[in-house]
Amino acid sequence: MTKDDVLRPLARRRGEAVVVTTMGAVRPWAALSDHPLDFASADSAMGHAADFALGVALAQPRRQVICLNGDGSMLMSLGTLVTITASGATNLVLFVLQNDTYEVTGNQPVPGAGRVDFAGMARAAGFPRVHAFADATAYAAALPSILEDPGPVCVTVKVEPGAEGPLGRGPEEAAAYLRPSLAQSARQLRRALAGPG
Amino acid sequence: MIRARLILDELRAQGVTDVLGVPDNAAKALLDLLATQPAIRVLTVTREGEAFAIAAGLWVGGRTPLVLIQNTGLLESGDALRGTAMRMRVPLVCLVTVRGHARMVARGPAPAAEALDAELLSRPDLDSVALLTEPTLRAWGIPWEVVSSDADLPRLSDAFRRSREREQLVAVLITGETGGP
Repeated sequence: MTKDDVLRPLARRRGEAVVVTTMGAVRPWAALSDHPLDFASADSAMGHAADFALGVALAQPRRQVICLNGDGSMLMSLGTLVTITASGATNLVLFVLQNDTYEVTGNQPVPGAGRVDFAGMARAAGFPRVHAFADATAYAAALPSILEDPGPVCVTVKVEPGAEGPLGRGPEEAAAYLRPSLAQSARQLRRALAGPG
Repeated sequence: MIRARLILDELRAQGVTDVLGVPDNAAKALLDLLATQPAIRVLTVTREGEAFAIAAGLWVGGRTPLVLIQNTGLLESGDALRGTAMRMRVPLVCLVTVRGHARMVARGPAPAAEALDAELLSRPDLDSVALLTEPTLRAWGIPWEVVSSDADLPRLSDAFRRSREREQLVAVLITGETGGP
């Protein structure tokens, strides 16, 4: 699967969900979506997109929060799988885009590349719903029900490595919402969420 | 000893909605009290760094989080707090219980950061994490207050005010155990 195979159907169906992206998903998602509830956990701390998304989900229990995490980032904070299930959050959808590499540093292999079973780890951590996809057609067919079911949900998708570099957060970024600082972006999302949540 | 009830009263006065952290002995009395407070959610995390990222998300979502960790966990949290709470400029207070403080004080004045070396940090009569706590906060650009007794608790209020005025993380070092009544 390509990242586009994963992200394009999701962009059509995200509705009013918050979407937190990180690393190699940031620019591909921004190419498909420019929404006030998009947030790039980039120029931040690697490995902390999923727990940041959990915080938003806990604060906004009536709003779905989708996190597009990478496999390298997930490996940095596997404990977060447990924190998510222990938190009681039911509105979080955690994607793990598994390309087996650290894409933004040049596609060096992650530890356990090709062998790590993120879906199995999510089940063992207590996720009530876990889906694993390596086929774009099957993924696209299942996505509507995945987004409708109560969470927390973990969705692992095998994707081809890309060639994304680090985010610059400056005028060189094509998507307007990727240009402000992380602090400004956090305030923009906070304002966007200030209504009923 | 610092009375946990007084800390809790201040957290409630400040509108704290969520407490995130990893338990330690010095915070036990406060955690026991928090467990009786349905209006404040307590979420135990697997590593302290997670607490800062979750707190940032909670604040973005409109809540008023607080982080409660030991100083060992503060050191563990380095890049997480730098890249989330600090870089997002989240107005956030972090209570840090200071393991090893009593032994450090018994030794005499705290050594200057320049005096910290392998010999000092490996001495068995000192807990190196206590020696490193304030120099680390200084290096990371995090202002802090010290609360050693009930009489110091207005500093907790000051920390909340500073965090909101400066839109940043402020630490409060708790140098004794919390207790009751």
